[in-house]
Amino acid sequence: MNRRIGKLAVVLFGLYIVLFVQLNLIQVGRKDTLDNDSRNTRQTVRNFNDPRGDIVTSDGVVIATSVASEPGDGFDWQRTYPKGDTYTSITGYYTFGFGATGVERVENDVLAGRTAAQQITGIGSLFSGRGVTGDVEVTIDSRIQEAAKAALAGREGTVVVLEPSTGAVKAMYSWPTYDTNLVATHDADEAESVFDYLDAAPGKPLLVNAYQERYMPGSTFKIITTAAALDSGLVDDTTVWAEESEFLPPQTIDPIQNYGGKVCGGDLTEVFRRSCNTPFARMAIDLGPETMVSAAERFGIGDKVPIDLPAPAASFFGDVDYFERNIPLLGIGGFGQGNTTMVPVHMAMVAASVANEGVMMRPHVVAATFDRDGRTLRRTAPTAWRTTMTPSTAEKIGALMEEVADTGTASCCLRLSNGVRAAAKTGTAQLNMAGEPERSHAWIVAYAPAEAPRYAIVVMLKGTTAEISEGTGGTLAGPIASRVLDVALGL
Amino acid sequence: MSFIAERRRATELRLVIFAGVITASAYTLASLGKNSVIPPRILPFLAVLLLVLVSAHIAVRLLAPGADSTLLPVAAMLNGLGYVMIARLSERLAGLQTTWTLIGIIAFTATLIVVRRVNDLARFKWTYFAVGAGLLLLPMVPGLGFSSGGARIWVSVGPVNFQPGEFAKIALALFFAAYLAESRELIKNGTWRVGRFMLPEPRDLLPLLAAWGFSVVLMVGQKDLGSSLLFFTLFIVMVWIATEKAAFMTIGLGLFAMSATVAYFLFDHVQTRVSIWLDPWESYRGRGYQIAQSMFALGSGGLGGTGLGLGDPTRIPEAKNDFIFAAIGEELGLFGATAILIAFLLIIGAGLRTAMRAKRDFAKLLAIGLTTIVGVQAFIIVGGVIRVVPLTGITLPFVSYGGSSLVANYVLLALLLRISDNTAKRLGEAPDQMSAMERFEAARARRRTARTGAAE
Repeated sequence: MNRRIGKLAVVLFGLYIVLFVQLNLIQVGRKDTLDNDSRNTRQTVRNFNDPRGDIVTSDGVVIATSVASEPGDGFDWQRTYPKGDTYTSITGYYTFGFGATGVERVENDVLAGRTAAQQITGIGSLFSGRGVTGDVEVTIDSRIQEAAKAALAGREGTVVVLEPSTGAVKAMYSWPTYDTNLVATHDADEAESVFDYLDAAPGKPLLVNAYQERYMPGSTFKIITTAAALDSGLVDDTTVWAEESEFLPPQTIDPIQNYGGKVCGGDLTEVFRRSCNTPFARMAIDLGPETMVSAAERFGIGDKVPIDLPAPAASFFGDVDYFERNIPLLGIGGFGQGNTTMVPVHMAMVAASVANEGVMMRPHVVAATFDRDGRTLRRTAPTAWRTTMTPSTAEKIGALMEEVADTGTASCCLRLSNGVRAAAKTGTAQLNMAGEPERSHAWIVAYAPAEAPRYAIVVMLKGTTAEISEGTGGTLAGPIASRVLDVALGL
Repeated sequence: MSFIAERRRATELRLVIFAGVITASAYTLASLGKNSVIPPRILPFLAVLLLVLVSAHIAVRLLAPGADSTLLPVAAMLNGLGYVMIARLSERLAGLQTTWTLIGIIAFTATLIVVRRVNDLARFKWTYFAVGAGLLLLPMVPGLGFSSGGARIWVSVGPVNFQPGEFAKIALALFFAAYLAESRELIKNGTWRVGRFMLPEPRDLLPLLAAWGFSVVLMVGQKDLGSSLLFFTLFIVMVWIATEKAAFMTIGLGLFAMSATVAYFLFDHVQTRVSIWLDPWESYRGRGYQIAQSMFALGSGGLGGTGLGLGDPTRIPEAKNDFIFAAIGEELGLFGATAILIAFLLIIGAGLRTAMRAKRDFAKLLAIGLTTIVGVQAFIIVGGVIRVVPLTGITLPFVSYGGSSLVANYVLLALLLRISDNTAKRLGEAPDQMSAMERFEAARARRRTARTGAAE
């Protein structure tokens, strides 16, 4: 019988080998698939029973924190946002059944204490019973953020303030938005109904229009066309454009007109200050599809905005083939109309790169992360993203933008206190076809002080109301930019 | 004179202490992981742990000094890790499991006391048959048996609920061993001529077929697929080894395939089990949920596990019981789960070695049967949890929560140790002197004789 016993041993051993192989397939081979299965709530549940660190502004205002849940809640901690909807564009939300967005998402590991550094230093705290959660400091200044919210005053649009030299986002407020506390509830049905409502609401409040949407930029785009023309040597201080009200590009019988059909012309300073359209259409067409497209690429158009927040949008200009076949659209694109769209924060980066000698910095909202004991885990180092233009071109465009602020389309409305000089460019992006009711986005990009730029700003108002659509970028967006810059510069 | 037996006991003591250290560390880590505190009842825990391990070791030292040295420590480690997982899932159940473990050790010791020479057990084969059959049918008695979790395998007598099937498997192993030891030559060679074939007399086969019939009854009457599969495997393995004829294995497997197919088409619950096995995700919100959660648990464990107390095994239904292997796989990872598999392989190895060394057919077959029960039962439930075979609810020996299972497995372990000890005595590895019990009885007999002598 012993030989049979030996065989039995082999058979049983074989059965256990099968178990071992299958165990490997599940625990190693299919681990990622299983972990990422949408029905697998283990990770979320684990997170919800753990505390979570705070998100604070650069001036120390707590904008997201965890408090002990009410008894009977089922989870130990409740995420709260003390400032309601003011920082939704920054913090995002952290929900039980609907994932996370914003800083809550990108810095989840730090907030939950799951980075390697925190785990190692946290071993000691196991015994003291303290958590290993981390805190995140954002670059946002609460005073500028509050000013942006107050100045926008419930109009559909966005305000973004950047530091040109570092790319640090000092304020970013978008409307429509919502109070993140409403979706952070652990009551799944309630959260779902809020999401359903927000999802169907006009103006897409769930998307942060500052960096997750793109809009036709209108004349603010002329900064890019001018930079391309100056850098390529096509135009210089001596170039003069004839006074005209319209210009007929090749391949069409439909002429390009100036805003309101006005007669417009002169040297670069003059056409930039008055924001004539035909000279920039001519510039774009003279530069040709290839040069214009490569200039757009130099500004990062076509790539996702490199902000440290989830799901940023990419600005759009067009490709060479397309413009070869549609020369008139290249002309229209030259002054920011047609198919051209810009992400608002990207437009602020364009202005900031003028202020920063042609170097476009990566925009960021996370300033630094800290462990439980206040030790710095990581501090964001400012990094350049693109070189958009030569320093001399930047200087020239800076002068052009100062002229816009002093005597041009922004002079009416961009007036800073204490005689601080600004540099600006306005834009009124016409959305309606000829003969339709006027509908336009109102833009302004600016930086100040003009001599030693500290802040760059974009204000974009969506053309969804009659008030906005009948105004121009200067008259509508200018005052908002003034109020926000005044607060920022007064700090 | 130094006996191998003495070295075996010394090894066993070291291994038992090692198992204790593993259990105590795991218990502390689980509490640190779950609540970030040193377990508040660590001292009573250590006291009970020490009591259980040392008393089991002393029982073996006194009652079966020549027995295999690895069986008890491996069982103790499985029991310990299982306890840690159960304690981590539910403190109430942990208290009960402590009681079951203590009763298990008492049953273990009692078995070693009662059974001196394993071959003496061969006489009672019809008793085992009756007891085994009776236990198996007990849950179907109205008023006594009741269903829990879909299978009617429970019996309630007064305040005590138990699963008679856990004990029936030992009775059946004893019956098969006793019967086959006696009739194996008759069955093997066949005395009944049918045409060109020599077949066993139906009279000789009948008891075996009757026993097989019970496993079918189990499947049909109690919906207990796991136990049914276990008994069937036990039956086939023992007949195959006893007769040394592959034909019996083939016939057995044929019978199994046939009854499994019939069962599949006749019974909904069998079809459900198979479809869940093939694709648990399809019925995620229904019957596939358990397996899906088991997969999530194992996946989140990965290679090294989440750490004791840091996983989320409460999300797995029946984590304390049928799915305890998934809970271990989550918190201890592939490494910990593999350690459990290796522990069972060690038990199989030690059990089969015991069988090989045993001289008499009965002892040999009994060792094979008992080892097969542990090895195959663990395979069926682990395989069910990780989708190697369709899931059938049975316990993971020594690890799962449950009094009946734990007590029955400790009795089974004691029988294996007894077989091993008998062999050691026969081979001169252990002193063939009177055991402590035998000395005590001899002394009592002498006193009685002296008293009666004085009276005369």
